[in-house]
Amino acid sequence: MIEVRELTKRYGRVTAVDGLSFTVRPGRVTGFLGPNGAGKSTTMRAIMGLDLPTSGEALVNGRRYQAIERPLHEVGALLDASAVHGGRTAFDHLDWLARSNGIGRARVLEVLDRVGLGSAARRRVGGYSLGMRQRLGVAAAILGDPAVLLFDEPVNGLDPEGIRWIRELMRALAAEGRTVLVSSHLMSEMALTADHVLVVGRGRLIAETSMADLSAQFKRDVLVRSPRPTALAAALTTAGAAVAQMADELVVAGLDVAEIGDLAFAHGVPVHELTPRSASLEEAFLQLTGETVDYRAEGANR
Amino acid sequence: MNTAISAEWRKLCTVRSTRYILGSPLVALAAGSLVAVLMTADWDGSTATERATFPGADPAVLAVPFTQFCLAALGALVITSEYATGMIRTSLAAVPGRRRLLAAKAAVVASVAFVTGQTVAVAAFVLGGLITGDRPAPIAAWDSVPEGLAAAFGNGLSITVIGLIGLGFGAVLRSTAGAFVAVGAVLFVLPTVALMVFPSWGEDIASLLPAGLAPQLAGTADDPVLPPALALAVMLGYAVLALVTAASALTRRDA
Repeated sequence: MIEVRELTKRYGRVTAVDGLSFTVRPGRVTGFLGPNGAGKSTTMRAIMGLDLPTSGEALVNGRRYQAIERPLHEVGALLDASAVHGGRTAFDHLDWLARSNGIGRARVLEVLDRVGLGSAARRRVGGYSLGMRQRLGVAAAILGDPAVLLFDEPVNGLDPEGIRWIRELMRALAAEGRTVLVSSHLMSEMALTADHVLVVGRGRLIAETSMADLSAQFKRDVLVRSPRPTALAAALTTAGAAVAQMADELVVAGLDVAEIGDLAFAHGVPVHELTPRSASLEEAFLQLTGETVDYRAEGANR
Repeated sequence: MNTAISAEWRKLCTVRSTRYILGSPLVALAAGSLVAVLMTADWDGSTATERATFPGADPAVLAVPFTQFCLAALGALVITSEYATGMIRTSLAAVPGRRRLLAAKAAVVASVAFVTGQTVAVAAFVLGGLITGDRPAPIAAWDSVPEGLAAAFGNGLSITVIGLIGLGFGAVLRSTAGAFVAVGAVLFVLPTVALMVFPSWGEDIASLLPAGLAPQLAGTADDPVLPPALALAVMLGYAVLALVTAASALTRRDA
């Protein structure tokens, strides 16, 4: 369980996190979603006791991270997979980590096998691909068998196989009853991994909802094609729908597919296509965070 | 605490730079010995009046300052390499108490520097003795074995303290290059500058700097500013100052 209470973090005059409060519960994957610069990484660093909050607090299992004696047994984190010394082997890297928290060598070998680095364990990390470093980062995170896990943008730069592996791993960790917090700026990624999402923008919480609700919330219009669009549009407008007409296509909001089909039948208008359209999750995300993006290219959409 | 020290020890043992840094004083010892051999040969071919002007043929003159810099570099790298790679965050995630992490690093740096420093200093003394043989002063650097060993111990201790000063600079500056420059300034530039700016008492200032304390501590200085006990206190004071400053920087700033 992770509790963030009224967390504020300022760097000079820049407010990275602004009175953020949320709770991350065990047994599900919680997505931490927001555009770049929304304060996700800062929040995670505050949870890990790396950045000191300007005000407010972040607690793990009810305690400040710095108050935990051997924290790898309680919290595992993958914040930056490239943050390893390239001259060390994967085994040596995990070995010093394990020693720092009184974890045995057998466990080091076990996690190396679990992340698929067993055969590369004696090679220097400097020669690793990004995907292998990511796996090493995951191995470090699960080293102490912690009940709370944090992953900061874990799929960034991974190939499809690596992405699927991370996704399945996070789902498996949550299914074991662990608390899993995953940050991402990609809604599509969250849709496949997370059960619950926290949407942040400019350091504030914009929405907290289940992934299913978020998808449902942005289900919206129906595309209708008909050889007599004008007649149908009139009938639909009378029935209370909002209709936009483009040649033989109508975009109808406010009525569902069945209602539109029935109405067309009742008016004797043939219909060639009826397609319900949901806003893509990316659009939903842009709508939610639209006002909060810090840096945007001039003239790029909207 | 033991777990944190054990982890720091593993970190130190598993990077190549440690081997290079701890191996390079051997080169300085060899170079210092070569100089001593050449001086001794020169002495053998000189007249009595010329002989009186010779300084002691002591490999430590070259080996000790070089080793001081090496261990200061090691002390700095123990922390700056973590800032360079971002691994400091992993370290602090594993050992969240920042003072505890610093203490573990200091323990490892101090023990490695102590062993290396004493080894190099005693080796320089032994080599110097072998090279000058039964020749008298001034070409023999030391009048007696106890005096030579005391000087060696002082030199070894200065290497230990300077290792910790390197760690302190590393923790405060967080940059390898910055820490190296700072260490170089304290060890080699400040004493020279002191002499240039204050011709009359610059030498006294230089002898109070970390690199100049060892002979006073050993009681072998010709013209000491401080008695041995006070020189020891000042030397330990430098180590404490370095660590306290480092602790304050580490605890106040974000990782």
